[in-house]
Amino acid sequence: MPEQAKIDLREAMVGCFIRAVQDNVNLVVLVSDSTSTSKIAPFQEKYPDRVINVGIAEQNLIGVAVGLSLGGYVAVTANAACFLVARANEQVKNDVCYSDTNVKLVGLNAGVCYGPLASTHHAIDDISIMRGLGNIVILAPSDAVETEGIFKFALEYVGPVYIRMDNAKLPVLHSKDYQFKLGKVDGLTSGDDVSIFAMGSVVHEAYAAAQTLRADSVNAEVINVSSIRPVDKKGIINSILTTKKVITVEEHSLHGGLGTLISEVISEEGLDAKVIRLGITEGHFAKAGPRDEIRAYYRIDKSGILETVRKLLDT
Amino acid sequence: MSNEFQLPPDEIAEKAKEIRKKIIRMNSHAGQGHTGADLSETDILGSLFFRILDINRNELNHPNRDRLILSKGHGIGGFYCTLAEAGYIDESLLKTYLKFDSALPGHPVCQKTPCIDLNTGSLGHGLSVGVGLALSGKMSKRTFRTFVLTGDGELQEGSIWEAAMSAAHFKLDNLIVIVDRNTLQLAGRTETIMALEPLEDKWKAFGFDVHVTDGNNAAKFIETIERLDMHNGRPHAVIARTTKGKGVSFIEDRASWHHKIPIGDQITQAIEELE
Repeated sequence: MPEQAKIDLREAMVGCFIRAVQDNVNLVVLVSDSTSTSKIAPFQEKYPDRVINVGIAEQNLIGVAVGLSLGGYVAVTANAACFLVARANEQVKNDVCYSDTNVKLVGLNAGVCYGPLASTHHAIDDISIMRGLGNIVILAPSDAVETEGIFKFALEYVGPVYIRMDNAKLPVLHSKDYQFKLGKVDGLTSGDDVSIFAMGSVVHEAYAAAQTLRADSVNAEVINVSSIRPVDKKGIINSILTTKKVITVEEHSLHGGLGTLISEVISEEGLDAKVIRLGITEGHFAKAGPRDEIRAYYRIDKSGILETVRKLLDT
Repeated sequence: MSNEFQLPPDEIAEKAKEIRKKIIRMNSHAGQGHTGADLSETDILGSLFFRILDINRNELNHPNRDRLILSKGHGIGGFYCTLAEAGYIDESLLKTYLKFDSALPGHPVCQKTPCIDLNTGSLGHGLSVGVGLALSGKMSKRTFRTFVLTGDGELQEGSIWEAAMSAAHFKLDNLIVIVDRNTLQLAGRTETIMALEPLEDKWKAFGFDVHVTDGNNAAKFIETIERLDMHNGRPHAVIARTTKGKGVSFIEDRASWHHKIPIGDQITQAIEELE
């Protein structure tokens, strides 16, 4: 892949916010002292009255967002995923989901983005927690183009949405005319040797691994699962029917995340497939340290995926 | 937008008696219910629905309808009986209270019942949402007021004080917190379990315009609300002193009646006392 510009997905998100207001979306963005975390400044400069900072108070962040949505606003909260899903869990459950309010929850710096800051700051359970809540749409963009598609969708959709965000600057995987489709998987490469399902920024690790494998004449089908709920069961099944070999990759606990989701589909469909799930070991907090080293430790980086594919193809 | 009843306080007191009788009958029929809380808040809810709230049955989606969040969601029995008395729901529905998949579940469900803005039941959620509603009113220059009815034990929740801090910070003088101050919570006296006093000072310290009133006296409660300066730049806290179980001698001020219901002769006695 040629060297290309890397874009912070949050910048793409903030661009969407600005365009939404220009398109007359009655948007309000709430932060909990997370103005820098959300990189909201360009939006705040244009629309200072549309940014509400509740201070370091995540429960109140969600409650106030719910109130604003009941008052007719499209309310978006933007704070670190670790504090959102844990500290404000009950507000998310009752006030956003159960009350079915028009609130969009952006979980910033999810996974182990905060690598060395350790487990208080890691969010490796956000997907499993959100999957436990009845009605919330769960999305995870993999690059700036997909981020734009996802936020465009989320701001138009009426109802609760959770968006898992990364803080890395990432190259663009999608062409400019890529359309995000709710409930559809996004096949990035096609191949009949192995299916690699990935979510969020580790899609790039899977994609890079597939490029290397291709040189060895191994054809890996890399599938970006950006729509986690609703999920594209048919798309998942179709890929697995061909390859019968599955690797799932997530910067998330193996308990209740993407690997669990794919395994549910496989078992419910009775598919004949060998599955290896890569992620943060079940029952563990993630190691703390530089993010690339954490990824290497849990084999969710390119070389870990390559090694896993080779092991899987040898069996 | 104005209240469609606008009853005088003495007529509201009569309505409150009818609501209390409904509560006794409904809870007895259901075999469960938060009888103490339902009876504690009756005069507050009666005053709100029959006079204070700018709300109209036929225009619940009106942008300037006053909002009421029952943050003490376990008081839903009293809320349903008030809705029935005011004609928002059919009285026959009260017999379905707590039944399987009923329109009247044991905590507020906005998808099922009119006049419910938020699904509550877990304590300490309503005030933050009230702050957001009041803020939306300020931002969109609408005139509706936001009322949040909390229990007193509920004020032990930390989220209440996160919300209180922000209500004053955002200068929400269109927000009124009513504290149903009956001094009892599930397991006993608030002051024994986790003291709330000096409660007035706490709200004042958080920047609220604070008033203490009699929450079981419609005239005094209404006077307190109607005298609030709604343009003073400060959110309002009305500490409404009440008696849990008010109106029925053997239920009044007893923690054990938090979620007990009258049975057998108790039903007749309760209704007689309320006549």
